[in-house]
Amino acid sequence: MGTNATIHVEEGPVATKVAMTMEESLQAFAVCAACFIGEQDIPYSEEFDGHDFGATHILALVGSEPVGAVRLRWFQSFAMPERISVVQRHRGRGIARQLLEQCRQLAERRGCRMLYTQAPPRDVAAWERLGWRRLDTAADEDDRGYVALARPVDPAATPEAVPTPELLTLRPEPWLDRPARPGRTEVN
Amino acid sequence: MPSTKAAMPACEPVVEIKVAASSDELMMCYALRAAVFMGEQHCPYFEEFDGNDYTGTHILMLVDGEPAGWMRVRWFHSFCKLERAVILKPYRSAGRFIDLLHFSKDLARRKGYTKAYGHVQLRNFPIFERDGFRRVDDRVFHFSDHEYYSIVCDLEPVAAPPAIDLPPLVLNRPEGRLDEPGILELSQARAPTNPHLPHVERRAH
Repeated sequence: MGTNATIHVEEGPVATKVAMTMEESLQAFAVCAACFIGEQDIPYSEEFDGHDFGATHILALVGSEPVGAVRLRWFQSFAMPERISVVQRHRGRGIARQLLEQCRQLAERRGCRMLYTQAPPRDVAAWERLGWRRLDTAADEDDRGYVALARPVDPAATPEAVPTPELLTLRPEPWLDRPARPGRTEVN
Repeated sequence: MPSTKAAMPACEPVVEIKVAASSDELMMCYALRAAVFMGEQHCPYFEEFDGNDYTGTHILMLVDGEPAGWMRVRWFHSFCKLERAVILKPYRSAGRFIDLLHFSKDLARRKGYTKAYGHVQLRNFPIFERDGFRRVDDRVFHFSDHEYYSIVCDLEPVAAPPAIDLPPLVLNRPEGRLDEPGILELSQARAPTNPHLPHVERRAH
């Protein structure tokens, strides 16, 4: 007797795509929850901070299985990839790099010239290897211990070509006079 | 100077258990499951989100307002099936799990169910056994990398379970709050104007 069960494969190359449906958005949220709430004990209310419906979510898939996600927020003068997560069993195969490249390409197509993010100090070297540089601002290693980083969208530009963004715009959008939530990464 | 902290009364966390009833609350349920099953137990996404999420009832536990626990209940004809309990790591304790389980069993009782069924991982069977569950039979089966028993527990019948001869609006009440008037009873303050009727008549001509 045959089975009608849908077989979900989890093998093959890594593909990335912009989450376009409720199901794909949920997949991105699930990967994020697994990595940050499950592994790092981040409270739900910090993880789902109110920005998820004003951002673009990019999924990494192996076959049909969601294995990675990044949230990309859009500002007037830059785009901000944040909350990069890759499920444990798929770490170490360059998926975060692939997700960030997808962010860069999306930004490029929109005419955006700069990518900006905030990372914990332990991840800074990894970001620098991907062409990002620390910003020399007051937020450089701010009171939450996070480091501001940026890179030009144009791969031919030098990292020094990026201007310093306006920090106020990083705060929760409805409440620009309140402190921001920290950005995070879980990519190893 | 004496510590001001020492003078503070000990604050017990506020625990609330409820039937998830909004998109936000369902999202909290999904995040908890992803955290525990995908994050801690490395379960593939499609084995956790198995297609039955829109056919069951989701029970959500909040501790001081933060999502902390979840359980799914599915409703069959002669029994309900309790599934997949999680308590998030920072909140995890056997007591909290039992609270979640009892809420689910009580919800089932109040809907008229007298039998709760479940699949339990072998290592967790003693917790359920102490709560009145017994093995259905000797079978041991496995899925998603874990071995399970089928277990069942008799639920004490309630005096007046929901029935079709109750006042109709009682059956419209939100599940989990069947004892309180629901929003549709409040809507009875408006007269029945049958607002679609003129539209139907126009179409008929």
